[in-house]
Amino acid sequence: MSDLLLKINGLSASYGDEDIIKDVSFGMLPGEIVCIVGESGSGKSTLVKAIHGMSDLQITGGNIVFEGTDLATLPSKVRRKLMGNGIGLIPQDPGASFNPIRKLDVQFKESLAGHDMPYDEDKIDKMLKTIGLADGKTVLKNRPFELSGGMNQRIAIAAAMMFEPRLLLCDEATSALDVTTAGAVVEELLKIRESNGTSILLVTHHLGIAKKMADNIGIMKNGRLIEYGSVDKIFESPENEYTRNLIRDVPRLKKKK
Amino acid sequence: MSIKKQIAKRIAELIIILIILSFLTFLLMYLAPGDPAEKRLSSQGVAITKEVLEAEQERMGLLRPFMVRYGEWFTGILHGDWGVSFKDDLPVAPKLISGLKNTTILALSSLILSLIVSIPLGIASAVKKNSVLDHIVRLLSFIGNALPNFLISVLLMYFLCIVFNLFPVVADGSIQGLCLPALSLAIPMAGRFTRQIRTEIMEQLDQEYVTGLRTRGVSEKDILIHNVFHNASGHIFTIIALQIGTLMGGSVVIETIFRWPGIGKLVMDSINARDYPTIMGFVLIMGTIYVVINFISDVLYHVLDPRV
Amino acid sequence: MKKQKAKLRKRVIIAAVFAGILVLIAVFSGVLAPNDPYATNSELIRQAPSAQFLFGTDNLGRCVLSRVLIGARTTIASTFFLVAISFIIGMIVGMLCGFYGGIVDDILMRIADLMLAFPQMVVAIAVAGILGGGLGGAMIALGITMWTSFARLARSHTLSIKNEPYITAARLQGKNGLQIMMTHIMPNILEPVLINALTQIGTTMIGISGLSFLGLGVVAPQAEWGSMISEARAYIQIAPWAVLFPAAATVITIIVFNYLGDAVMEYRKAE
Repeated sequence: MSDLLLKINGLSASYGDEDIIKDVSFGMLPGEIVCIVGESGSGKSTLVKAIHGMSDLQITGGNIVFEGTDLATLPSKVRRKLMGNGIGLIPQDPGASFNPIRKLDVQFKESLAGHDMPYDEDKIDKMLKTIGLADGKTVLKNRPFELSGGMNQRIAIAAAMMFEPRLLLCDEATSALDVTTAGAVVEELLKIRESNGTSILLVTHHLGIAKKMADNIGIMKNGRLIEYGSVDKIFESPENEYTRNLIRDVPRLKKKK
Repeated sequence: MSIKKQIAKRIAELIIILIILSFLTFLLMYLAPGDPAEKRLSSQGVAITKEVLEAEQERMGLLRPFMVRYGEWFTGILHGDWGVSFKDDLPVAPKLISGLKNTTILALSSLILSLIVSIPLGIASAVKKNSVLDHIVRLLSFIGNALPNFLISVLLMYFLCIVFNLFPVVADGSIQGLCLPALSLAIPMAGRFTRQIRTEIMEQLDQEYVTGLRTRGVSEKDILIHNVFHNASGHIFTIIALQIGTLMGGSVVIETIFRWPGIGKLVMDSINARDYPTIMGFVLIMGTIYVVINFISDVLYHVLDPRV
Repeated sequence: MKKQKAKLRKRVIIAAVFAGILVLIAVFSGVLAPNDPYATNSELIRQAPSAQFLFGTDNLGRCVLSRVLIGARTTIASTFFLVAISFIIGMIVGMLCGFYGGIVDDILMRIADLMLAFPQMVVAIAVAGILGGGLGGAMIALGITMWTSFARLARSHTLSIKNEPYITAARLQGKNGLQIMMTHIMPNILEPVLINALTQIGTTMIGISGLSFLGLGVVAPQAEWGSMISEARAYIQIAPWAVLFPAAATVITIIVFNYLGDAVMEYRKAE
């Protein structure tokens, strides 16, 4: 089991009062895509926050082991350096993840410099093109508040991918995008996995996306991981009543990506 | 509207405000009780008869119509002639300028002093919210904010000059003499700044972009300096500009106590002597500086945070 | 969350009790004062604190404790009076501007803007100086700019409720503007404006005692903390108690009222 990239053991977390996620355990192999599916309030976004550990969420039980190290034991500076190219995040509202009044290229340089990575304008430009932003070089000369919400989202997604993280966390990142862009993002995520062997943990309420992307699917309800298994197992022989209901409710949009 | 146009509009407004300020200042002196001519004569020990008084009023230009006097005074000011002191017949402008120079030294040193203290403390207590440090800083700034500066200066004088004998009692314009007056002005100001800066920084730290930057691995130092403080700086300039008014009022009190030869001490002497031209000059200068500083801080705010 | 609120409520109550005690002291200072605050005695000048004179005596042999107590009345009463007058004027102006709008609103708000464009304490010193001292002059000097914050607040709150259904209903019932303002608008905007008044007490006290310190407020021999400190600082080396006791009284009073203002603001924010 030591070749697991991420191992979550009996994890519970809260914002001070009641635990929002309770006793969650699962593991991820390098290059694996796991989708956590659940309704809003199921704790799936909190799970992502617990893994990246950059909010004021408190871990109340269990631990998170990344590449063999318990994240809680890392000094905060080392932990911070892991963010970006070790663990990357496409947040729920990616557009709000940049400082709104600083030029984007400066912000890109700032985060890259923290990882001793070069600022490769052409590479970022190419990345932006693949998710539907032509003319990236000019766009990056702007400040986020000068750009539309959709543009900011794409830039933030590109920023997360740019680091080529070993584990990429996606928190409902596609829910705010239109169907075409969401499709492009999904395609791009799959390509990244293909080329870099990136593991992707994607949190969504959309079982359709999970079916398209995931190797394994976890179902969350009321803070607990109630079912976990391969895509085939979840869709062919779900054990849980709740999972069956979710599958029944998946809209039939076969033609769409 | 383009930025240039907006600035032009604001400058036009500024000029109108300054003209109104000059008018109100003049009106105030016009309506003031007490006759400067009488005061002047009695201070010179002249026996006041009706004829003598009228002659003096005529000489001081007090008998002409209001608008004529205002017009003359205003055009004079535009040409650098701020009138002649009722007290000693010397021109007002040089007095005001030399006072202003000393007041600027005092005000700037106390401003810098209070910012040196309050910016790091405000940031630190915002970052370490609810820690022991935060509680201590909040308590100190709360007390500082509650201390009137005349009281601080009297207490500082008592403890530092008399009980411990560290400083001279009278600040005659020397560097050593600058310490206590600057400290007296800086303490309550530092209390206010610390509170306000703490609030500003906390508000910025709650913004979503901070989490975004953290998840991209940007160091906490870079986040704090290049992002949080950078974004808060527009507000901080506004806070400072608004404090300038309190600082001006405070410097009148402090300069009088320590006999610092600034414009504030000048105006208190002039108030006691009913020397209207000097008081008018004081109000006009202070009002102008305040209005202009706030204008500059507005422009700066716009530059630093172009969203507004 | 509930715990937090209960804690905040407790803070408000404690602060209010202290403020209440101070106000009671001020009201009953005439009874509480052990000696005549104005009685001079050349044989008892600059006496150190003793059983007879708990706070000592000043340069004219007057009892410092009695003067501090009577001074509480001067300082607290004049502060309350000034805040109250500014509050009333501000409420009336703000409601009229917000309710009727139009040219009256434009003119009054322009005047308020103009007042805020100038440094308050500079205006106050100049005006008080020209009016030639006296507590009335000092209060006018501070009041010139003070009403504006109340007026702006009352106006914005009036604007925010003026199109509420119950106001429209009152209009349809044929009530006139004055009736609507008195019975429907005022009760609803009273709380935020009153809280603003509360937070202004500390600053106003600093302003009044500052002007008195400069000799632009109360006239001697009337007891007021600022002027007592100003008089006694000349002989602080010989009789520090004549400065330190009124100074302590000033600081404590301002701290109590500032704390009350902060506590009420935080309590309301938590709601």
